[in-house]
Amino acid sequence: MAAGIREKQTVALKRMLNFNVPPVKNSTGEPVWKVLIYDRFGQDIISPLLSVKELRDMGITLHLLLHSDRDPIPDVPAIYFVMPTEENIDRMCQDLRNQLYESYYLNFISAISRSKLEDIANAAIGANAVTQVAKVFDQYLNFITLEDDMFVLCNQNKELVSYRAINRPDITDTEMETIMDTIVDSLFCFFVTLGAIPIIRCSRGTAAEMVAVKLDKKLRENLRDARNSLFTGDTLGAGQFSFQRPLLVLVDRNIDLATPLHHTWTYQALVHDVLDFHLNRVNLEESTGTESIPAGARPKKKNKKSYDLTASDKFWQKHKGSPFPEVAESVQQELESYRAQEDEVKRLKSIMGIEGEDEGAISMLSDNTAKLTSAVSSLPELLEKKRLIDLHTNVATAVLEHIKARKLDVYFEYEEKIMSKSTLDKSLLDMISDPDAGTPEDKMRLFLIYYISSAQAPSEIDLEQYKKALTDAGCNLAPLNYIKQWKAFTKMASAPTSYGNTTPKPLGLFSRVMNTGSQFVMEGVKNLVLKQQNLPVTRILDNLMEMKSNPETDDYRYFDPKMLRGSDSSVPRNKNPFQEAIVFVVGGGNYIEYQNLIDYIKGKQGKHVLYGCSELFNATQFIKQLSQLGQK
Amino acid sequence: MAVDITLLFKASVKTVKTRNKALGVAAGDSARDELLKRGAARSKSDFTGRAREVISNIGKLKDFLLQHRKDYINAYSHIMSEYVRMTDTERDQIDQDAQIFMRTCADAIHQLRTEAHKDVQSAQVKEHRTAVLDFIEDYLKRVCKLYSEQRAIRVKRVIDKKRLSRLEPEQSNISKSPLSPEKNSQNPLDDSEEKLSSEESKDRNMPDAQSNLGLWGDGKGEDELSPEEIQMFEQENQRLVGEMNNLFDEVRQIEGKVVEISRLQEIFTEKVLQQETDIDNIHQLVVGATENIKEGNEDIREMFFYCLGSGFMFLNQQLQDFVRSYSVRNLKWYNQPDFYSPESNGSFVLCSEATNSHRGLSFF
Repeated sequence: MAAGIREKQTVALKRMLNFNVPPVKNSTGEPVWKVLIYDRFGQDIISPLLSVKELRDMGITLHLLLHSDRDPIPDVPAIYFVMPTEENIDRMCQDLRNQLYESYYLNFISAISRSKLEDIANAAIGANAVTQVAKVFDQYLNFITLEDDMFVLCNQNKELVSYRAINRPDITDTEMETIMDTIVDSLFCFFVTLGAIPIIRCSRGTAAEMVAVKLDKKLRENLRDARNSLFTGDTLGAGQFSFQRPLLVLVDRNIDLATPLHHTWTYQALVHDVLDFHLNRVNLEESTGTESIPAGARPKKKNKKSYDLTASDKFWQKHKGSPFPEVAESVQQELESYRAQEDEVKRLKSIMGIEGEDEGAISMLSDNTAKLTSAVSSLPELLEKKRLIDLHTNVATAVLEHIKARKLDVYFEYEEKIMSKSTLDKSLLDMISDPDAGTPEDKMRLFLIYYISSAQAPSEIDLEQYKKALTDAGCNLAPLNYIKQWKAFTKMASAPTSYGNTTPKPLGLFSRVMNTGSQFVMEGVKNLVLKQQNLPVTRILDNLMEMKSNPETDDYRYFDPKMLRGSDSSVPRNKNPFQEAIVFVVGGGNYIEYQNLIDYIKGKQGKHVLYGCSELFNATQFIKQLSQLGQK
Repeated sequence: MAVDITLLFKASVKTVKTRNKALGVAAGDSARDELLKRGAARSKSDFTGRAREVISNIGKLKDFLLQHRKDYINAYSHIMSEYVRMTDTERDQIDQDAQIFMRTCADAIHQLRTEAHKDVQSAQVKEHRTAVLDFIEDYLKRVCKLYSEQRAIRVKRVIDKKRLSRLEPEQSNISKSPLSPEKNSQNPLDDSEEKLSSEESKDRNMPDAQSNLGLWGDGKGEDELSPEEIQMFEQENQRLVGEMNNLFDEVRQIEGKVVEISRLQEIFTEKVLQQETDIDNIHQLVVGATENIKEGNEDIREMFFYCLGSGFMFLNQQLQDFVRSYSVRNLKWYNQPDFYSPESNGSFVLCSEATNSHRGLSFF
């Protein structure tokens, strides 16, 4: 499992694109061309992993949506990568009847049922195209990998499995079943691709428990079925022969509602919180410069730009978890080093111009030629670096604008103090009634965090005061209703979780960045250093992975699909600490938790953690769901 | 892990067929109709057929190159004994053939490209065909790289050989010089696929040459030639070899330079082509601007006459100055960049015409 999940999924995809034959590295191989047809699910899965260029390299000439108008293209094999739903099957049968392509390679994202397979067979017979259907595969890739160690379940139908859907008061049993089945199906696909059977632990009495039970059952059934088991033979990597199996920790969103609302300070989480960022693509709206435009001219146009933040972007990979001021400094440094290299190339150019004709000896000339060759060949690298620097400058500037406009650093500091129960230097009421700090939503978030993390609810009078201040500031109070209910509910369950006792240390109001005269004028923005603190999810993971005894987690259920008889005990059979873990949050997760887990596991040598959630939302989206819940 | 359910699918097909038979459902089109349909489809596949032909041709070129590659690079010496060796003429022949072949393939691809968009309505098919042609071109490029790689190795060896023989000028006494080219060529043979390191081969040169010197000397001594004749022959040998070396020097020098520079040239041509499109754009702009200025001048001239007619002379003077300075400024601007396209000179002429009209006016 040392190879991340992203690599495994990419390998599986590439194999599928190569007609399900492992690709052979051959630099002078003959070109083969094919057409890729996917539905929206397939598109979401492929787009974070393979760029259009990589698809081209694999021989894909066209990539089209299943439900678009497609013209017949003769003599070309078509690879389908779709979910086995009714409408997709119907469309595929239609394609077969219309004889659009020469041969068909059907790949279903998750397993297809027998009856639907027969539908396709029927259509194929009717169109006399049975020989054209070359291969049919179940790919078991029904999850989206965003990072090497992070995945989400789906993007297209996320309302179906959202926090709101699971926690609705008026949910019926059948609906719950459907939601659980969807989640379990994706988790099952995940483990098939990973090639490992985990040991499952979950808390009692939550949606996570339902998921755990179903997943355990599904894995068990699959293992028993020796003929069709997905976990035998070549699917098992070398790691499986060791006694280490990964630990799957299933947690429910309800154990920690404050983290999704928290204002954050690390780069990736900030981008997700403040800008339009999903599936590793960020969309920016830029206004065209700050020159004064004479009256009567056209109004300023806003350009929409979108950038892909991928694994090949080295700057992103290095800094996505760093605090924002550090990011600003690093961009500056990169820019300077790029300028130095550019100057070097220019200098070389002038040298060549001067010295080219004087020296007669071959060696001198070939040296210069060699130098020039190396400079020219390093040009694409240089250009790529420039592109990345531009990209990050734009993104970071956009983020910085938001920070300054909404005073997000102040909120961050304040919330950290609330969550760590240290003294507050400014009263909450002041914060809320302050007109220039933050949007109404920010204030709502702040108040909700305060409400969630306080040990006892504020008194009625105080609450009324707060409510009035909030409505004055323009907030909608619906989320508060829901949180009240939630708090009452969880109070019965356990004591509210604490968030650790560390405080962020502000490094002074004027950071060094401003002194170096950089573009990122961070005056007035505090340069806060994040102290390592463990969020609730990280703490739970720590307890379970290290087999620590803790009242919070001792009650967790224990499932081992490999055991012959399922037991209902909470006592783990395995007493050794785990080396690999997968944390899955049912009900939604976000980058703050992910970053916290990564930081935690960095401190442990040789251990790996993967983070997954049923959907990925930022605070805005979460508040929306909470208000919908609170309105009922 | 993906699961191959093709067999399951085939089984489903059988099930459905038997079920249909049992229910008496029609079995779909007959075989004849299927063939007809296929026939119609095949006529559209002319493009694909030709594309595949080009690919197979490129494949043949690749096989040809790979087949002779070992001999090309490996058997470098002139005195190789039993194995098949390649003389330089054979290598040149291979080079020439390969080049002709590559040119033909490139032409075929180009032709296909122009024809690909002819009788096609759908945008998707067009895109598909463009992409297919890109792939074929890429394949051709990769195969050409094979060719240019081995050619570069060959030229590099020659250069290094020359460099070596030049690096030991003091060892150019009689017996060494006929030997050293041979020894140098033996050395590349030993490390055929690696870079040549001059120090190593120099060191190996010394002991080899020494030992052979003795043999050579012994061998010669057994002939009937007198010592003076030996010396004379040796001197003549030396002179001839020196002459040949000089000739070869120059040729290889130039060839080496050219090969390296041609690589750079490729890169630069790309950039120049880019610049050309930029220049074209700028030229368009310039022409447009010139037109605008001309029209503006016309308008101003009209106004002049109008003003004159109405008797506002003092305004005219100011207007004239303004117009003159404006046109002079434009002249300067046109003068600065170094355009290399002939049309830009034309635009320069146009502009100067416009300014001449202004000067004519001032005399009025």
